[in-house]
Amino acid sequence: MTDRPITRRECLARGAGAAVAAGLAAAGGFLLHDREGRDPATDLPSAGGLRDFFAGIDFPAGSPRIAVVVGHEQRIRQMVQAALAALDPELGLKRFVGRGDVVLIKPNVGFDRPPHLGATTHPEVLRWVIRLCREAGASRVMVTDNPIESPQACFAKSGIGPVVQAEGAELVLPASGRFRVLAPWPDPAGQQATAASIDWQRWPLLWEPLDQATRLIGLAPVKDHNLAGGSMALKNWYGFLGGRRSQLHQAIHEAISDLALLLSPTLVIADATRVMMRSGPTGGRLSDVSPGGKLGRPVLVASVDPVACDSWCYQNLLDRDPAGLPYLELAARKIQSQIRAGRRRFGQSDWRVYGSEGRIATISV
Amino acid sequence: MMRDAQTGLPADRPPRLLHACRNALRVTSVRIVVQTVTLGLLVSFVLLTTSSSLDRLPALRHWVGKLLEVDPLAALATTITTHRLYKALIWSLVILIPTLFLGRFFCNWICPLGTLNQFVGWLSSSARAGQRPSVEGPSASPNRYRRSQATKYYVLIALVAAALVGTLQTGLLDPICLIYRSLTAAVLPVAQMSAPNLLEDPRLHQGAWLIGFLLLALLAANLFYPRFFCRVLCPLGALLGLLSRLAWWRIQRDPTRCTGCGLCLAHCEGACDPHTRLRRAECLVCFNCIEDCPEGALRFGCLPSRQGERAGPDLSRRQLVLAGLAGLVFYPLARGSGRVTRDFSSRLIRPPGALEELEFLRRCIKCDQCIRVCPTNVIQPGWFEAGLEGLWTPVLNFRIGHCQLNCTACGQVCPTGAIRPITVAQKLGLGEMTEAGPIRLGTAHVDPGRCLPYSAGIACQVCEEVCPTSPKAIRVETLPGRQFPVPRVDLSLCIGCGLCERECPVAGDRRAIYVTADGETRSQRYSQADRNRSVRLPAPPRSIPKQDRLPE
Repeated sequence: MTDRPITRRECLARGAGAAVAAGLAAAGGFLLHDREGRDPATDLPSAGGLRDFFAGIDFPAGSPRIAVVVGHEQRIRQMVQAALAALDPELGLKRFVGRGDVVLIKPNVGFDRPPHLGATTHPEVLRWVIRLCREAGASRVMVTDNPIESPQACFAKSGIGPVVQAEGAELVLPASGRFRVLAPWPDPAGQQATAASIDWQRWPLLWEPLDQATRLIGLAPVKDHNLAGGSMALKNWYGFLGGRRSQLHQAIHEAISDLALLLSPTLVIADATRVMMRSGPTGGRLSDVSPGGKLGRPVLVASVDPVACDSWCYQNLLDRDPAGLPYLELAARKIQSQIRAGRRRFGQSDWRVYGSEGRIATISV
Repeated sequence: MMRDAQTGLPADRPPRLLHACRNALRVTSVRIVVQTVTLGLLVSFVLLTTSSSLDRLPALRHWVGKLLEVDPLAALATTITTHRLYKALIWSLVILIPTLFLGRFFCNWICPLGTLNQFVGWLSSSARAGQRPSVEGPSASPNRYRRSQATKYYVLIALVAAALVGTLQTGLLDPICLIYRSLTAAVLPVAQMSAPNLLEDPRLHQGAWLIGFLLLALLAANLFYPRFFCRVLCPLGALLGLLSRLAWWRIQRDPTRCTGCGLCLAHCEGACDPHTRLRRAECLVCFNCIEDCPEGALRFGCLPSRQGERAGPDLSRRQLVLAGLAGLVFYPLARGSGRVTRDFSSRLIRPPGALEELEFLRRCIKCDQCIRVCPTNVIQPGWFEAGLEGLWTPVLNFRIGHCQLNCTACGQVCPTGAIRPITVAQKLGLGEMTEAGPIRLGTAHVDPGRCLPYSAGIACQVCEEVCPTSPKAIRVETLPGRQFPVPRVDLSLCIGCGLCERECPVAGDRRAIYVTADGETRSQRYSQADRNRSVRLPAPPRSIPKQDRLPE
């Protein structure tokens, strides 16, 4: 008899342990089973769709769509307040940002340039927008962008980083963990999917702040753009893109118009305090910069319709014909399908339509 | 003498509190605190001053590299190769002069690699038999002197011989350079990868695996051979050991009290034979032996022990000559490949402010500080682009990053002046430097076979768009037969910053626009064809640009 005698308790314990281990192994196997050998198409986790940041805003039908404020370099605060007051004389920004809202402000911090060269958003404009958001009761104000060069350098050099810190807003840096690709759109009619030109399920977006925000405000400088023609409110959304977005240059108008379709903002403010008239978007020479472009004085343009805003700025500030800007027409066409389905309100490629309807307010401060 | 069985102290010991204070003020306790604080400061400074944090803690900038500046081996070797002592390296006297009095205190009190080696050895020795006197006596102790400890002197001689003929290779094994390099290329990225989203995205370093494995191998060696690196390989330890033959203070043994028990070897860090004739060049001044001796026979005193000591290391003349020859021969073998002169690699691009290649190789100690502070991660530890001597020297890789226009961080941290501390005005040719022109790292070239508008009829303009110079060095032009405008580089404006290569959508290692070292300003003065990398005929110089002048 060479075996050690085993007690009943030990036998049961061993059997139970073996059964549990076997059960766990089997359960694990079944849960992780991949029968088809699925191809992991992208190593980025996918997200939901993008929300409509204009949803829930009771914007009166008769209100101006575009508000133009001409002012002075020393009167940025008055310019910002006047622009928002022009859109809604009664409530101003409070019409758009309510108590408890999480606001994401998207300035242009794309380049390692000081603010006076006009490649990035004027930090003072950002400062007053942040303050007004707080006054309107926003619970969180986030500021983000994904620049080409080192984010730390761009935020510091452009003056945006210090302003965000001083005003107590949150600076969201484009760390790689914050990017996602969009999930297939839950659009039963399939309209949004077919309307887009680019396969957006292959492109990472700076998803995290977009997901957390309830309101989106774009703060774009008005610039010449050597390839696209102009870099204004719509081109500003480029800063949400990650990956090798330089490839999108091969179809730049399709890409910009797709971004106009994907992102329905609360508001856009075109910062024309310093307009880069030539050598855009990077610029680098003071001689290329003019306050207010053609108008000669600093200008701010606030609008609920980014497409019309671009159209207006292209003609009245950069002094060019919007008919020669292909992405305007493309964007309007794509948004049209959304407007017909009642999911969006604004997407007009020709600003003169608003002009003829008296929906452009012009103020001087 | 009556001894307390538990503490081993004399039975008439002082009251408890005084005893505790005396314990805390033991030299070894103080030493451990100093070692820990030094290592902790180094690691935290390095972690806190990665490029993104550099601006938040500007006061730390001058202190992060202090250990390199006090490194006597770096000072000695660069003085040999350049016949000058560069700027802050004079601080090495702070270590050199006390060594002449106290011996190799640096190795066990300050050197962070020494601390790490000691720590790993301590971890593994807690169960080791060396704690109790072995039956065989001191000859079996892991801390006995071994002949292999002479190797570090040969390493030092070889490195010094190499330096005498003009090639600086001390950085490969210098412990200070090694620890900075390993922290930068191996340890810091691992820390970043374990804390995603909190710190910046993990940085990449070519060949980081080799740097990391070297550190791991040296640390692991302590498990088998205590203080392996310090005793067997360290050229800085060898240098300090040679200097300590002049030292005044050393461990003295009183033979009347000594019982020959060999307990002093139990924790001897230097394996310096305190139980017989002390080997002064090996003693790391750890004071463990004094604490361990139950008879109180050892002390740190000013005179040689009565029974004598060995002042200098035991070196065989033949080995010395061989080591010297090895060092001397390294130079012609390394240069013989021609990678530094005529067969230079066009892809070898050095940081802005770097000296001309031969001068650079005489100064670079491969500490990789420039690599750590670079904000875009473009500077990488080199491989063999510059031949054998170029290992771990900084080279730019524009697939990973680009040289930021207004940044001069690399020159500010270089301890030996291989990269000069330039101003932004010098770098970009602004203000009074306009006539001298900007510092060019190289020139961008378009590859029409890969470029989309050239070869595929697809619109693109990314390089032109991102070119940061004013006026832009890349413009687009419409060529007959091409549907979309194609890029064209203006050689007189391009500074080789590499942003175009970084952003080119035709990605991978063969980009449609890429930067080569041709036209780099640091090599343009040289009429010798094999070191001059000009492409265009330079304009007649009015004066030698300040940034291209050789060091004073």
